[in-house]
Amino acid sequence: MQPKVAVLSGFGINCETETVAAFEMVGAVAEKIHVNKLVKGHDNLSNYQILAIPGGFSFGDHLGSGRLMGNRLRFGLRSQVRDFVSAGKPVIGICNGFQVLVKMGLLPGDKNLNMKQTASLTLNDIGHYVNRWVTLEFDPNSPCIWTKGIKRISAPVRHGEGKFVTDNKDLMDFWEKSGQLTVRYVDPKSEYPSISTETLPYPISPNQSWRNIAGVCDHSGLIFGLMPHPEAYHSTWLSSTWTRENIAHGRGEPIKIFRNAVDYITSN
Amino acid sequence: MNHNNMENYFEVSTKEMEGLTDARGNSIKSMLYSDHGIDVHTVRVILGYHIVGYITDENSERAVYDLFADPIIERGTHNERILDEYSPAPELVIQIGFKPGVTDNLGQAALDGLYTIFPDLEEIQISTTKTLAFWGIPKEIKVEKIAETLYNPMIERVSISSIDDCRIKKWPKLEFPHRPNIKYTQPTTINLEVSDEELIRISDNGLLALNLEEMQAIQAHFRDKKIQKLRTTHNLPPKMPTDAELECLAQTWSEHCSHKIFAAKIEHYDTETKKITNINSLFKTNIVKPTNDISNEVDWLLSVFHDNSGVIEWNKDWSLCIKAETHNSPSALDPFGGAITGIVGVNRDIIGTGLGARPIANTDVFCFGPPDFDGSIPDGLFHPFRVFRGVHAGVRSGGNESGIPTVNGAIIFDERYIGKPLVYCGTVGIMPRKLSDGRDSHVKTPESGDLVYMVGGRVGSDGIHGATFSSLELTEESPSSAVQIGDPITQKKMLDMLIEARDAGLIQVITDNGAGGLSSSVGEMAELTGGAEIDLGRVPLKQSGLSSWEILVSESQERMTVGIRPEDKVNFENLAKLHEVEASEIGKFTDSGAFIVKHNQESVAYLPIEFLHYGCPQMKLKSEWRPPKHLPIKFPDLNHEEMGNMLCRLLSRPNIASKEWWVRSYDHEVIAQTVVKPFCGKNSDAPSDAAVIAPIAGKTQGAVISNGIMPRYSDIDAYAMAAASVDEAVRNAVCVGVDLDMIAGLDNFCWPDPVQSSKTPDGKYKLSQLVRANQAIDDICRIYRLPCISGKDSMKNDAVIDGKKISVPPTILFSVLGNHKDVRKAVTSDFKNIGDIIYLLGETHQELGASELAFMLRDEQGGGIGGTVPHIDAERNISLYKSIVSAMDKSLISSAHDCSDGGLAVSLAECCFGSDSGAIIEIESLWENCEDLDEYGALFGESLGRILVSINPKNKLEFEEHMQKHSIYRIGIVSKSNDLEILKSKKSILTASLDNLKQSWKSSLNGGN
Repeated sequence: MQPKVAVLSGFGINCETETVAAFEMVGAVAEKIHVNKLVKGHDNLSNYQILAIPGGFSFGDHLGSGRLMGNRLRFGLRSQVRDFVSAGKPVIGICNGFQVLVKMGLLPGDKNLNMKQTASLTLNDIGHYVNRWVTLEFDPNSPCIWTKGIKRISAPVRHGEGKFVTDNKDLMDFWEKSGQLTVRYVDPKSEYPSISTETLPYPISPNQSWRNIAGVCDHSGLIFGLMPHPEAYHSTWLSSTWTRENIAHGRGEPIKIFRNAVDYITSN
Repeated sequence: MNHNNMENYFEVSTKEMEGLTDARGNSIKSMLYSDHGIDVHTVRVILGYHIVGYITDENSERAVYDLFADPIIERGTHNERILDEYSPAPELVIQIGFKPGVTDNLGQAALDGLYTIFPDLEEIQISTTKTLAFWGIPKEIKVEKIAETLYNPMIERVSISSIDDCRIKKWPKLEFPHRPNIKYTQPTTINLEVSDEELIRISDNGLLALNLEEMQAIQAHFRDKKIQKLRTTHNLPPKMPTDAELECLAQTWSEHCSHKIFAAKIEHYDTETKKITNINSLFKTNIVKPTNDISNEVDWLLSVFHDNSGVIEWNKDWSLCIKAETHNSPSALDPFGGAITGIVGVNRDIIGTGLGARPIANTDVFCFGPPDFDGSIPDGLFHPFRVFRGVHAGVRSGGNESGIPTVNGAIIFDERYIGKPLVYCGTVGIMPRKLSDGRDSHVKTPESGDLVYMVGGRVGSDGIHGATFSSLELTEESPSSAVQIGDPITQKKMLDMLIEARDAGLIQVITDNGAGGLSSSVGEMAELTGGAEIDLGRVPLKQSGLSSWEILVSESQERMTVGIRPEDKVNFENLAKLHEVEASEIGKFTDSGAFIVKHNQESVAYLPIEFLHYGCPQMKLKSEWRPPKHLPIKFPDLNHEEMGNMLCRLLSRPNIASKEWWVRSYDHEVIAQTVVKPFCGKNSDAPSDAAVIAPIAGKTQGAVISNGIMPRYSDIDAYAMAAASVDEAVRNAVCVGVDLDMIAGLDNFCWPDPVQSSKTPDGKYKLSQLVRANQAIDDICRIYRLPCISGKDSMKNDAVIDGKKISVPPTILFSVLGNHKDVRKAVTSDFKNIGDIIYLLGETHQELGASELAFMLRDEQGGGIGGTVPHIDAERNISLYKSIVSAMDKSLISSAHDCSDGGLAVSLAECCFGSDSGAIIEIESLWENCEDLDEYGALFGESLGRILVSINPKNKLEFEEHMQKHSIYRIGIVSKSNDLEILKSKKSILTASLDNLKQSWKSSLNGGN
């Protein structure tokens, strides 16, 4: 069975094309769906096995990135989203999509699906948008189904608001222990494993995110969000240094993230 | 404070919490220090939302954290001032808000957000403010000085609380920027049966930018008995135009829209050869003709010159198109607004190509005054650095928020751009070769009877007279209504919708509403069916009361005009609704032979298509070429270390220095196609020559986008300038391995006014520069088999400030869009491995005239810039380029980098930056083809047609054999050391440490933080 992926679009989402491409490269059937098609009932999330909220500038990032799109989903699609998540189907939010998931309270989330915001993504300490490549390391103990078996990848960040923070430090410790702080920025020159909670300097950490957090998952490991763009490196010739490397060309390493979700659906 | 429910204030600031900084405040603090040397201790920013309209208190309270403030990181208040909470009180507070009628994108987004939460709200308006609180202001700094660096009086208002106000908590408070009521004025008629002086007065007073001959042509039209009769049947005054008609003609005939100078008859006299040449339209002679001739040799040209962008067949499934625009005048008045409007505007040219294309890459090239300019800035102009910041922010916002990667660009500095900065915004688009209904997507197919829709934004009084204004010089009185702020999200929604409409086969014809507004967009498309009829009463407005001519010519942004078959009406409107895009049917296309405009019942305009588009009389101009004289360059006598220091200084020149700080805040990778990015090398901080994109996911066919711009050479000869620009664009494309069998060009001229007059006593000379530049493009493009497929000219880049005229140097941006057969073979500029062999390909001659070194030496120690300007040998170059690309195809070349600004020495340093290596170079062999060469010429000369490459030693034999018929010079190897060492006949002539070179190159244009 080929899993069907709903890739949201509209209102300034702008990475839907490559997100569709990344899922299709690993054998899924991905469809670009305008948010209003779901809100107005022309389509329903229950027709899909995976939900992706791509990156972009929904509503121009005004009033805080992901905020207005988060509200559209929170107020317009509440029950569809709850049903989707309760049914144990995987959700990914990338960059702006991650911001949406955090602001609508699905990430890091809670067991009861309260959709109450507990963390946020705020302006990078440098104060502006930046596009550069980072090295990411994955917590091997994370329950995240999207990142199984992945140790390190590189990928670009392209954001102005990627600093993960919370106003409740106990929660942060709790997420750390439960493996929900899935992905961290690390120094590419360091040896694996090297995840540290000490904030790394710019540009290793592009935003001075707390504990170098680049992405988190919910308690179940099904909902996953991250600031860097794995879909932007779906092919080897899209990396930042490929002309210096002697490589066999093909799929880029972060494509494993999408494959994991497709494997999860096909094997469950 | 107003506590009735009709007016509410919300404020938001960053929460004070460990590990959280007020990044907005810190950015302002850092900008004040790096741009103005003002070192304040702390800045905090409060965002304000001022709402007019009825909301219950309960809903207001809920909105604080459901909409305005983030509950985790922000503090939000409703009708309470956050400033009251600060202890100690700030020493200065500045509140900035928009003037009435200026686009407030944040306010619009907030409004949308409010309706999401409370769908039943009555009519609400929101305006936003930014309040800046300061602590620790140095005593010597005047409060006004801080304020004036932070807001633009052209579009913004400010309210200030001084230290005394702050002590008593008297905070700044701007009133809601209600739009002033506009009283609708009936269309008027203008009597043209007047003296010639009076005709000119009518044109000048109405900002029509029409000359006497043109006014007389209009006068003659209304004397025509047949026309008078037709007008009577259409209920219009028979013998005189309405204001709307005159405006419509002025827009259509403006230099901006109809390129009168490029279409003029020119008598060109060359004082060197004593020859007189008569030219009937530079455009037809030097741009169109070569392309038409080349079209007999290539089969991939699909649509050239007549549409909003030029289109080529990239492969059997996809077409690519490209267009660049300039937005110079608006960017001088409001750098942010001008630039964002420029970028989203050129994106619309792509959307409006054929039946609609999707923009996939932006390229931006700016020309500014020197960032470190310390002379006096005339009133009405901004310091170049502020223009730089504003333009950069505008293009960043416009490109990033639209989801279009900015893949390539350049920034050029020269004092003469202080009067008018040049802001070139270019976009590449993609469209299916054919639609599913079988139509070619690059061909518009309107039919009489199709409905005219206006899609996207509404019409307001903003942007009235942009086209005619840009056809005039800039003065202190330039109208603020010509300034607008783009709204990328409204446009993105429209783009998504229109591309779906195209794919569903709903679009018959589409074009942008840019310069001249509806008068131009409908007027132009009416030519395709032979007529159109629209009703201005059906055009949705931002505010009521606009008069007919204003609706007709307003350039309010984010609007497209689309033609739809009547039977597709419902589908089209439903699609618009789904995307929350406004689409209004405003008329229909006809074959009546005329463009007819009504305003509800009233007749407003009747303009025969023939007269509208072909009635403008051809200009007749004179041009005279007399080579300018320059003092020679004064060369210092330096030892090898001093030469190294000189290279450091050259690398820190703004024209050469790294622009990474600026470029990294553009998204250059969205859509996941950018193969060669703006920066390359080990640390991704070395400069790339051209962008390579692979637009179809998973496929390895690519496209190359490159630019060439060399305004310095105009000081000696605009022919050399144009030739160098074309060569640079092609050379850059060759460096990444472009397929030379498919390269298309885009010429974009920015000139000072070249029409001889009392205001322009050197018009003949400036026109001769234009003639020579055109001849160069003609000559070189033919030899390179590089057809121009679209272009643009902006001919009034002068500013008169305090009675003094500042003209830009004649400038051409030449862009290349080429094919790349296999992106996996693309090459980048960084040296790859220690021990790789370095070659300079192409001949070096003693050509330092108007070089970057010449300008630097002039700035440092006087003297001139005179000397031989780089001469082009196009046949030799293209033959070399072909061999380079075929060597890349065989994977023989490891790195390739253009030799241009600053010559060989700069190129060598840049290739080392990408590999953390050094290089040992011996340049003795360069003298083989040029005995006149001296060391300065060899190291810093800018001879065209040269590319610096490195190869793996194992490929040496094969590479040298492959290149044997060309002038190639094996000049050294990539070394492990941290030095660049250049010898001539084994004697060291330049040494420098890479650390110093890189530091010089990277630090001079750092933007702070």
